Amino acid sequence: MVDEAKKKEVLEKMRNGVIQYDEDACKEGAQEALDLGMDANEAIFDGLVSGMEEVGRLFEAQEYFVPEILMCADALYAGLDILKPHCQQMDIGLKGAVVIGTVEGDVHDIGKNLVKMMFDVAGFNVYDLGRDVPLDKFVEEQLKTDSDLVCLSAMMTTSMVGMPKIIEKIKEKNPDCMIMIGGAPTSKELADKWGADGYAEDASNALKEAIKMVSFLKKLRDEKAGKK
Amino acid sequence: MKTRPLKELLQREGATLVGVGDVTQALTSELIHLNRGIAIALNRGLSSDTNDQLERLQKLAEVWLKERGYRSFSIPPDSDRRKDKLITKLYHLVSHKTAATCSGLGWIGKNGLIINNTYGSKMSWATVLTDAPLHPDTPVSGSQCGECDLCVRHCPSGAVKGYHWSMVDPRQELVAYDKCRSLKTKRHGFAEKPNCGFCVTICPFSRSRHKQKHG
Repeated sequence: MVDEAKKKEVLEKMRNGVIQYDEDACKEGAQEALDLGMDANEAIFDGLVSGMEEVGRLFEAQEYFVPEILMCADALYAGLDILKPHCQQMDIGLKGAVVIGTVEGDVHDIGKNLVKMMFDVAGFNVYDLGRDVPLDKFVEEQLKTDSDLVCLSAMMTTSMVGMPKIIEKIKEKNPDCMIMIGGAPTSKELADKWGADGYAEDASNALKEAIKMVSFLKKLRDEKAGKK
Repeated sequence: MKTRPLKELLQREGATLVGVGDVTQALTSELIHLNRGIAIALNRGLSSDTNDQLERLQKLAEVWLKERGYRSFSIPPDSDRRKDKLITKLYHLVSHKTAATCSGLGWIGKNGLIINNTYGSKMSWATVLTDAPLHPDTPVSGSQCGECDLCVRHCPSGAVKGYHWSMVDPRQELVAYDKCRSLKTKRHGFAEKPNCGFCVTICPFSRSRHKQKHG
């Protein structure tokens, strides 16, 4: 039986490590969690992700800005790298693979990277195509990996216009694949018009959306654990 | 807010020079809340652990600021070679030259490098941005290269153009970096950051110190 007080302390350490972008604290916390025999998924969600939720709030309140967010994300990754190998794949009824990238002509990938991070956290297999990705590459990669989800990001109007072409091609070959688009110039209306299944507004909203998604997964997991 | 305790701490720990500059003018919107740049320099040649030492000093500055409730964002000495983290995407938004010139520790020479009055352009630099309201040092007023054009004449690839740097037009390209790079690639098949370093060693400001020390 894991000592509850000690467990709480370790979770708190990871949470604060993320909030205060302290990579060393996150690493230590993650290692301590493993040493204590804690469940790695629990350590990730109740420690690291809980910290990132607070970071999302701080960003919304304009307490934190882009550099802090990125440093927090790096701290989260530092802990995640240690915990990930000990994770059990969550059974959420999805194969859990996602293709993500910033579309051709666009090199802005901060938002994309934040979203990717949350997918990493949630235990998805993420195929990150990077930035300035040729349109057909998305289609190819989806077919190759048989991913459930494809995420397209763009920050410029000029590169955004490639999105409907990708959506059309993917849907044609694989109608069951879900597609999410995001980035400053995109909108819910455009997502609907182009036949995308989901939408995230910009870097901050992408993070919020991703946190929401992961929080939702966390709830599912908790409910499932409750039923057992 | 006084800067002396921080400067003394870093110098005690091995920093050759420490300056604090108001870098507001040079910042993009992502970083505008971190408008003080702490420039840290080491004069020890490119020893294998120079970068580690600089990063240790940055860490000390970060902790010092954090203890006082302030934020910091460190740009490591070899920022252009870092790709391993998310935050590395923002490194290119600030250059060490900005913090160094804003804190008055040096000007940008015709060779495109920071030149300090005492140590020339042989130093290695690191920057810590912070939101702490540190009292800034006086920025450098302009180039002190004067008529000297040794680096222009002796550059083996003719890359140094010979322009005077000024705060007014900090973006003017002083060195044709593609030329500088091509020489190293051609002669030595060198893929990493190419510096033949001739413009460093030939600079009188770099040499005067050397003479004093060994002369």
